[in-house]
Amino acid sequence: METIFLIFILFLGGAIVTWMAGKLGNIVQDILFLATILVPSYLFYTNVATGYAIDFNVGGIELSWGINAFGWLFSLIVLGLGAFAAFYAVSFMKGKERRGAFYLNFILSIMAMLGILMSQDLISFFIFWEIMTWSSYIMVVYNGNDVQRIGIKYFVFSAIGAYAMLMAIVLIKSMTGSFMIESLISSYTSFSYDMQILIPVLLLTGFGVKAAIMPLHVWAPGAYSNAPMAYTSIFSGSLSKMGIYGMVIVFTTMLSYVPEGVWFRGVVAWLGGFTAVFGTLWAIKQDDAKKLLAYSSVAQLGYIIVGVAIGTPLAMMAGLFLAVMHAIFKGTLFMVVGAIERQTGTSNFTEVTGLIRKMPWTFVAALMSIIALAGIPPLGGFVGKWMLYESLITSDHYLLVIVIFFSSTAAFLYCYKFLFGFFLGQEEEEWAHVKEAPALMVVPMVILAGLTFLLGTYPGIILKPIANGMQTLGYGMTQGQLWDTSIILNEWGNQVVLQPILYAILGIFVFFVIFVTIKGYKNTRYVTTKDISSSGEVPLAHENLTFSQGFFQPFLRAVEPAMRRQIDKYYTAIANGLESLFDFTRRIYTGNGQTYAIFVIVFVVILLIFKNSIFG
Amino acid sequence: MVGTPVLFVAIPLLAAFLIPLFGMIWKESVRVIPGIVLAYLLVLAINLMNYVMVNGPIVEVIAGWAPPLGINLVFSAFSGFLVTLMVFLGLIVWMYSYRFKRNVDFEPAKKYFLLLMMLITGSVGMVLTGDIFNLFVFIEITSISAYALTAFYTGRDSAEASFKYLMLGSLASAFLLIAIMIIYSQLGTLNMADIGSKMHLMKPAYKIMAIIFLFTALGIEAEIFPLNGWAPDAYAEAPGPVGAAFAGIVVKAAIYASIRIIYTLFDLSGAYDLLIVIGMITLIVAETAAIRQEKLKRMLAYSSIGQMGLVMVAFGMGTEEGVFAALFLMFNHAIIKSLLFLSGSYLVYNSKDKLIKEVNGIGKFLPITSFLFVLGSFAIVGLPPFAGFWSKLSVLTAAADSNMLLIIALVLIVSIIEVVYYMRVVNRIYFFKKDESVSTQRPTLNALIAMITLGAIVLIVGFYPDAVTGFLHRASADLMDKAGYINDVLTLN
Amino acid sequence: MEDTLFKILDYGVYGTAVLVILIGLYGALVKRSLLKIVIGLSIIDSGINLLLVAIGYLKGGTAPIFSPGYLDNPKIMVDPIPQALVLTAIVIGFGVTAVALALVIRLYRHHGTLHIDEIRNLKW
Repeated sequence: METIFLIFILFLGGAIVTWMAGKLGNIVQDILFLATILVPSYLFYTNVATGYAIDFNVGGIELSWGINAFGWLFSLIVLGLGAFAAFYAVSFMKGKERRGAFYLNFILSIMAMLGILMSQDLISFFIFWEIMTWSSYIMVVYNGNDVQRIGIKYFVFSAIGAYAMLMAIVLIKSMTGSFMIESLISSYTSFSYDMQILIPVLLLTGFGVKAAIMPLHVWAPGAYSNAPMAYTSIFSGSLSKMGIYGMVIVFTTMLSYVPEGVWFRGVVAWLGGFTAVFGTLWAIKQDDAKKLLAYSSVAQLGYIIVGVAIGTPLAMMAGLFLAVMHAIFKGTLFMVVGAIERQTGTSNFTEVTGLIRKMPWTFVAALMSIIALAGIPPLGGFVGKWMLYESLITSDHYLLVIVIFFSSTAAFLYCYKFLFGFFLGQEEEEWAHVKEAPALMVVPMVILAGLTFLLGTYPGIILKPIANGMQTLGYGMTQGQLWDTSIILNEWGNQVVLQPILYAILGIFVFFVIFVTIKGYKNTRYVTTKDISSSGEVPLAHENLTFSQGFFQPFLRAVEPAMRRQIDKYYTAIANGLESLFDFTRRIYTGNGQTYAIFVIVFVVILLIFKNSIFG
Repeated sequence: MVGTPVLFVAIPLLAAFLIPLFGMIWKESVRVIPGIVLAYLLVLAINLMNYVMVNGPIVEVIAGWAPPLGINLVFSAFSGFLVTLMVFLGLIVWMYSYRFKRNVDFEPAKKYFLLLMMLITGSVGMVLTGDIFNLFVFIEITSISAYALTAFYTGRDSAEASFKYLMLGSLASAFLLIAIMIIYSQLGTLNMADIGSKMHLMKPAYKIMAIIFLFTALGIEAEIFPLNGWAPDAYAEAPGPVGAAFAGIVVKAAIYASIRIIYTLFDLSGAYDLLIVIGMITLIVAETAAIRQEKLKRMLAYSSIGQMGLVMVAFGMGTEEGVFAALFLMFNHAIIKSLLFLSGSYLVYNSKDKLIKEVNGIGKFLPITSFLFVLGSFAIVGLPPFAGFWSKLSVLTAAADSNMLLIIALVLIVSIIEVVYYMRVVNRIYFFKKDESVSTQRPTLNALIAMITLGAIVLIVGFYPDAVTGFLHRASADLMDKAGYINDVLTLN
Repeated sequence: MEDTLFKILDYGVYGTAVLVILIGLYGALVKRSLLKIVIGLSIIDSGINLLLVAIGYLKGGTAPIFSPGYLDNPKIMVDPIPQALVLTAIVIGFGVTAVALALVIRLYRHHGTLHIDEIRNLKW
C-alpha cells in the first residue's frame, strides 16, 4: 500500500479508536493517542520523499497527494510541535472529562494540517481545510464557556474564509477544467483581468481568516483563549500557519506574474503591519494571560504576514523563519499558561503572583520563550526580526519599518507583564501550596524553549529547509546567495555573525545574575502583597494589591484613542441587524392558512401578468 | 428482470387494504406487513435498477392499451433511482416508527401504517407514471394520506397544520386539473411522451398558461416560496418519522414531477430562468426564516424548504452537470434530512413545545442519537468529509460552468446562515447545561438501527462518493435525453 | 391574450364554469369561516369539473357507446376521456372534502371556534 494512504488511514483509524477507547482505561487511551500522533509522523519523515505524488480519483474528480519541499518545511511545524503538544496534552487532560472527544479532534487537526500540506489539488486542500476548521471549532467550544458567541464567531469567520476559497476553487475549475494547483498556476496569467483580481482576493480572504489578518482577526482572541491550552498551543502555533502557507503560495506563484501583484503585496503588508500594532496594543491591555497571548499571536502573525507579503527573498526568508519561531515560542507560552492554570486554577495576572520558586522549570521555559518573542538576542526571535527589518529597509518600506518597530517595542510591555505577573512579585499565601507541573508537561516546554536557543545560535538548521522550500516556490537563488542577502548570517548560513559578541554579553549577564542572587539570597525576606503599610492605612483583605493590577495605565491612556474603535463592535452590530431583519422576514409566514392561499393566487397572477417577459 | 414496475404501485396499495383485514386476525401484522412489503419493493427496485443500467428503461403498459392511448409506467435510470431512494426511505421510516410513541397501541398503528403505505403508493406512482392525469391521481392519493398523517396526533395543533396543507393542496389540485384540461383540449392526449412530442403544435398562449398552472400546482407540493405556507407547520406537527417521509419521499416526488414537466413536456427556455429565480428566493427566505426559529422541527422544516430551493436552482441551470448536482442534492437531502428528523424527534421526545432550548446538554444522556444529529448537521451544511459536501460542490461547479457568479456568491452566503443555526443547536446539545425538568427518552432498538443506517450512508457517501455518482450520472443523462424518453414510450407496441 | 380570453367567454358553458370557479375562490379566500372555506374549495372543484366536461362536448354528439346506428361513426360521439377524468376528479374531490370536514370538526373541538384568524397557533 502507498505510504501516503497508510499515513492518513492510521491517523483516521487511530483517531476513531482513541475516541472509542475511553472504556478501556485512561492509560490505554493515552498510549493510543500518542501512538496515533507519532507513528504516522515517523512514517512521514522516513518514507515520503519530497517531490513524490500519487494521483487518484474520487467521485470523478482527479486528486493528487504528495509533498514538496515547501510543504515539508511546514510539516516540521505541524508534526514537530504536534508531537510535543501531544505529550503535554496527555498530562494536561488527566482527570478532565470528554478526553475522547479532545483526543479525536486533536488528531484530526494534525491530520488535516498534514493533509493541507500534502494536497496537490484544490479539492483535497479544501476538504482538509474544512476538517481542520470543524475539529478546531469543537475544541474552541470544548469548555462550554460562552460558546454561542465565541464559537459561532469563529465558525462564521472560518466559513466566510472557506466559502470565499470554495468560490475561487469552482471558478478556477470552470476556467481551467481541472482542480490541480499546478494547472491553476500555469494558466493563471491567461485568465481575464477580472478573474486575475477576483481569484487572489477570494483566496487571500480564505487564508487571511486563519492567519488572523485585520479585519478578519476578531475571532482569534476569543477562540485562542477559549480552547484548552494543550490545543491552543497547536491552534496558535501550527493551525494559523496554514493561512500563512496558503498566502505564500498565492503570492509567489500567482501574484508574481501579474503587474497588479505589487498592489496586493502592498495592501496585505500594510494590513499585516496594522495587525501587528493593534494586536500588540490590545495584548498590553489584557489581564488574562490567555487573552494576552491570543492578542500577541495576532500581532506576531502580523509580522509574518508583512514578511511573506513583501516577498523579496530576504523578507520571505524572514517571514518563514518567524513562522517557525512563532510556532515554537507561542506553543511553549500557551503550554506555560496551561500549566499555571492547571496548578493554580486561574490564568489571571492580578490573582497569581510569585510562582518563580514554586514552578522554576515552567519559569525557565516562559523566560526563554518571552525573550524569543520579544526578539532579544541571542534567541531565535532576534534573528527573524533582524532579517525582517533588514528586508524592509533594503526594499524601501521605511514607513512599514517604523510601524513594525513601534509594535515590536511595545511588545516588550506585555512580555514584561506576562513574566512579572505570574512569576515575580510578592508571594501570596493563597498560592503557597502550588507545586511544579508534572514532568510530562514540563519536559516538552523546556525542550521547546531550548529549541529557541538552538535556532538563535544555529539558524541554519531551519534556514536550509526554508531555502529548499523557497527554491520550490520559484526563488531562483542558491543557498549561498540567500545567505548573502542578510548581513546577520555567516557565509554558510548556519550561524549568526554577531554570535561571539552575544555570548560575551550573555556571559556577563549570567555572571551578574548569579552574583546578585547569591549575594542577595541570604538576607531576602519574602513578603505578601498585604505586608505593607502606606501612611498608616492598612489594606483590607479583599483589596487586590497585586502588582499587575492596573499595569501600564499611562501608556494605555496615551494610546486609548487608537483603541476606542473596535472593529469587533461593528461586526456585532451587523450581525444583530441581520438577525432582526431575519426575524422580520419570517413573519411572512403569518400562520393564517387563508393568507397562504392568497400568496398562491398572487403568485399565479404575477406569473400571468409577466408571462411574456418570463417565457418570452 | 424479476418483476415489473407496476408492482411498486400495486403491492403497497394492496397492502394498505389488507392491513386492517389481517389486523383482525393477528394484531402484530399491521406492523409487520408494511415492512415485508417495503423490503420486497426495495429488493425489486435494486434488481430493476441493475437491469435498467444495462438494458435501458422499462416501459410498462397497463391494461393492454399501447401508448399514447393507454396508461404507461416508465422505470428509467432517473425515475428508478428516485423510486429506489423512496422505497429505501420508506423502509427506514417504517423501521423507525415500528413502535414509536402512539404506534405502540394497535388502533393508531393500524391507521398509521395504512396511511404510510398509501403515501408511498402515491409518491412512487407520481415518479413512475407516464400519464399526466394519472399523475394527478397519484398526487391526490399522496396528498390525502399526507393530510391525515399530518393530523395524526390529536391534542396538539396538528389539525391546524393539516387544514392549511389541505387548503393549499386543494388549490394545487384545482390548478393541476385546469392545466391538464388546457393541454388535453389543445393536444388531445394525456400521455406525457406524446405531449412532449406534440408540444410544438400548441399555441404559445395556451402553452404558457398550462406551464404556469402546472408549475404552481407542483410548486405547492414541492414547497416553493411563496407557495409553501403549509410546509413548516406540517413538518413541525406531523410525527417525527412522517416529517422524514415528507422531506425524503413526498417532496422528492413533487420535485420529480415538476422537473419532468419542465424538461420533457414543455420546450420553454424561460421556465429554467424561472426555476433559478424562484429557487433562489426560496433558498434565501427559508434559510433566513430558519435562523430565528425556536422550535427544533420548525427549524428543520425551513432548512428543508431552503434545500429544495437549492435543488430548483440546480435544475434551473439546464445543463447535465446541473441536473447531476440537483439529483445529488436530492439524494443527500433525503438521507440527511431524514436522519435529522428521526434523531431530532428523539431529542425532543417528551417535550410539548419541541423547543430548541430543550436539547441543552442532552449529549450526555442520549450519546448516539445526539452524535447522529450532529453528524447530520455537519453533513447538511456541507462540511467535508461528509456527504453534503459533494453535492454542494457539484452545485457550485455546475453554476461556475454556467457562469453564474451571483448564484455562487448567494448560495455561499446563505450557507453561512445555515452554518450558524445548525451550529447553535450542536453547541446546545453538547456544551450547555441540561435543564433538570427535561426528561429524556432512550431510542428503541429499531429506531436506533434506522438512524445508524442513515448515518452510515452519510459517512460512506462522504468518503466514497463514487458509490452513488455512477447512478446519478446515468440518471441525469436520462433526464436530459428528451427524445430518448419520447421514443422509448411511443415506439412500444 | 385578451382576445383568447374573450373567445373562451363566448362559449356560455365555459363562461359559467369560470364564474363558478371564481365564486369558489371568493369563498375560499375571503370568507373567514372554516366551513365556508371548505364549501368554497368544493365549489372550485365543481367549476373545474364543469369545464372539463365542456371540453369534451360535441354539439349534437351522442354518448360514446357503440350502439346500433353509430357503429361506424365515432366522429359524432362526444369525447369520453374528459368524462372519465371528471368521474375520477369528483371522487377525489369528495374524499378531500370529507377529510377537510373531519379536520374542521377537530379544529372546532380544539379551538372552540371556526374563525380562521383565531386558529393561528402555528406561525413564523
